[in-house]
Amino acid sequence: MEKKNISLEQGNGGREMNDLLNSFLGNLYRGDKWENFTNDSATFELPNKDTLCFTTDSFVVNPIKFPGGDIGHLAICGTINDLAVMGADPVGLSLSLIIEEGFDIETLNEIMGSINKISKEQQIPIVTGDTKVMEKGAIDKIVINVSGVGITKKIIDEEIITGDKIIISGGIGEHAVALLSQRFDFQTQIISDSKSIYLEMKKIRNLIKFAKDPTRGGIASVLNEVSNEKGIEIELEDSKIPIKKEVRTACNLLGLDPLELANEGRIITIVSKNNSNKVLEELKKFNEMAQIIGEVKSTSNKQGKVILKTSLGSRILQMPSGKIVPRIC
Amino acid sequence: MNIYLKKIEEIAKEFDNRTITIMEVCGGHTNTIMKYGIRDILPKNIHLISGPGCPVCVTSQKDIDNMIALANSGIPVASYGDMMHVPGTKLSLAKAKSLGADVKMIYTATEMLKDENKHRVFFGIGFETTTPMTAYLLEKGICVYSAHKIMPPPMREITTKTKVDGFIDPGHVACIIGSKVFDELKVPQVISGFKKEQIIRGIYKLLVLIKEGKNEVINDYTEVVKEDGNPKARKIIRDNMKLIDSEWRGLGILKNSGLEPKNDKINAKIKYANILKNVKSFSNPACRCGEIIKGLCEPKDCKLFGKVCTPQNPIGACMVSETEGACGIAFKYVK
Repeated sequence: MEKKNISLEQGNGGREMNDLLNSFLGNLYRGDKWENFTNDSATFELPNKDTLCFTTDSFVVNPIKFPGGDIGHLAICGTINDLAVMGADPVGLSLSLIIEEGFDIETLNEIMGSINKISKEQQIPIVTGDTKVMEKGAIDKIVINVSGVGITKKIIDEEIITGDKIIISGGIGEHAVALLSQRFDFQTQIISDSKSIYLEMKKIRNLIKFAKDPTRGGIASVLNEVSNEKGIEIELEDSKIPIKKEVRTACNLLGLDPLELANEGRIITIVSKNNSNKVLEELKKFNEMAQIIGEVKSTSNKQGKVILKTSLGSRILQMPSGKIVPRIC
Repeated sequence: MNIYLKKIEEIAKEFDNRTITIMEVCGGHTNTIMKYGIRDILPKNIHLISGPGCPVCVTSQKDIDNMIALANSGIPVASYGDMMHVPGTKLSLAKAKSLGADVKMIYTATEMLKDENKHRVFFGIGFETTTPMTAYLLEKGICVYSAHKIMPPPMREITTKTKVDGFIDPGHVACIIGSKVFDELKVPQVISGFKKEQIIRGIYKLLVLIKEGKNEVINDYTEVVKEDGNPKARKIIRDNMKLIDSEWRGLGILKNSGLEPKNDKINAKIKYANILKNVKSFSNPACRCGEIIKGLCEPKDCKLFGKVCTPQNPIGACMVSETEGACGIAFKYVK
């Protein structure tokens, strides 16, 4: 039998990563009290009927500092966001650093400064942690793992029906383009959307049926996941999807699809028709580009399906696959 | 845009059911065409086919095997992302990397200048669009394995082998070489931008040329493409590289269609000739990438397409790039 090795694509947040996770998740011992293993946070019902949410995430990003943030800011916000989209109030975080020998202390201090600032601003304390230093070359600069726990009275997971609206909380692709501008050394006004979405979620969480933060794989990945998991058909209107002109231009130049690019401070949510304008109004207070971008067309599609209506017709929006790389020509 | 679609419908009728075949040379154009389903909304007698405009797809199997051989011999190499995944005879550069070879994926050629290992060999691929950056590396003394190719020769070859009534010319290439160069092909051509509206307008203008029997080139991308292109980019290529006969996947060896370093000391093919002389290459006979590049068949005509050959497991080069490869794009948008 051919020897197989892990490839970079198996960590891309798309089809290959899902296949890898599915190949071993079923074999892990999970006890009988935890649920929601494949969601943003696993959940555990407490004796008082509140639900404890628990999440963890490791952060590697190149470059480690980018317009609008750095790896520390990203790590704290990312973990808070994974709790917030479940409907939880985050109560504490852990911080684990793995640092490459030779790493610049001043940069480390800047990263720790970002971590401390966002933790204080959000009033979510860092309560435990760990630090390791590895030999030069054993890892690339720094890896940050943040875990978090939160508590909620109700997890956001309502029944989705035909006619429900899809809402995005702001322009997409800004984090990825901010990063790419550093890698490709092009000038842009775009800064990363990296931020905590906890306050936004607090405002809307009682009005919505489903929420996710569209990170790796972008909205294409999240909507394919939810359509597949819930057996629903989603139709998006291309012209309604908010994308800043600079993001669109950068994507055209590099041959990338903004729908597949990572966001680090956006919420994509499914809302009943009746609540949709109210939710949109709340989200617009945080970002005026928030928009209703589509709706649920059917709830009896076993495989799930995401359709993108364009000015010339429509096409299937597929789950991203492979590593996102710019065009060569 | 509807105006041009309507105009296309009208002019298509004037061809009296004669099928008009238009080749879009550039993979970027193929991407827009597939993404927006432009083929499906054109009249039945207007047939669009993809050409040899994906740098990854036209790179020969031999060049890929040679790069893998260098990497497996302990020579550090670097390549653009999509090139990492094109299968060689036994494995790809990505596979060689996962097995321990020092293969670095880079986003831009200038990353080579920051690399700690000054002996790393850069796998230079692409047409006139990416060649200036490789030429810049050569100017800085970086060793290059060049599979760079220039565009008009394969288009000339295709006009002799395939029935093509006109070309949508490669817009990015035209930025560098200019619009004049395409005159020599003596077939109707339009240089078009990459937006769906621009492509549809380009198709209409091309149909007018075909209808009137004019073997002319219309530059419909004047905001970017000038008559004499980009002289500075051409100079750096000329200063550092020389024309050679080059092997194209599907098209074979085309005279004066490739470029390699002028300085033999930083030409990896010469520097590492002792390693490369033993490399053997074999293509999968079932793979039809060669015919797809020539416009002789479409991705769906290949028995491997979407079954054994997928973006996760590409058998042929055309399946690798989802932004420029005909099969990769077709898999993503049509399947």
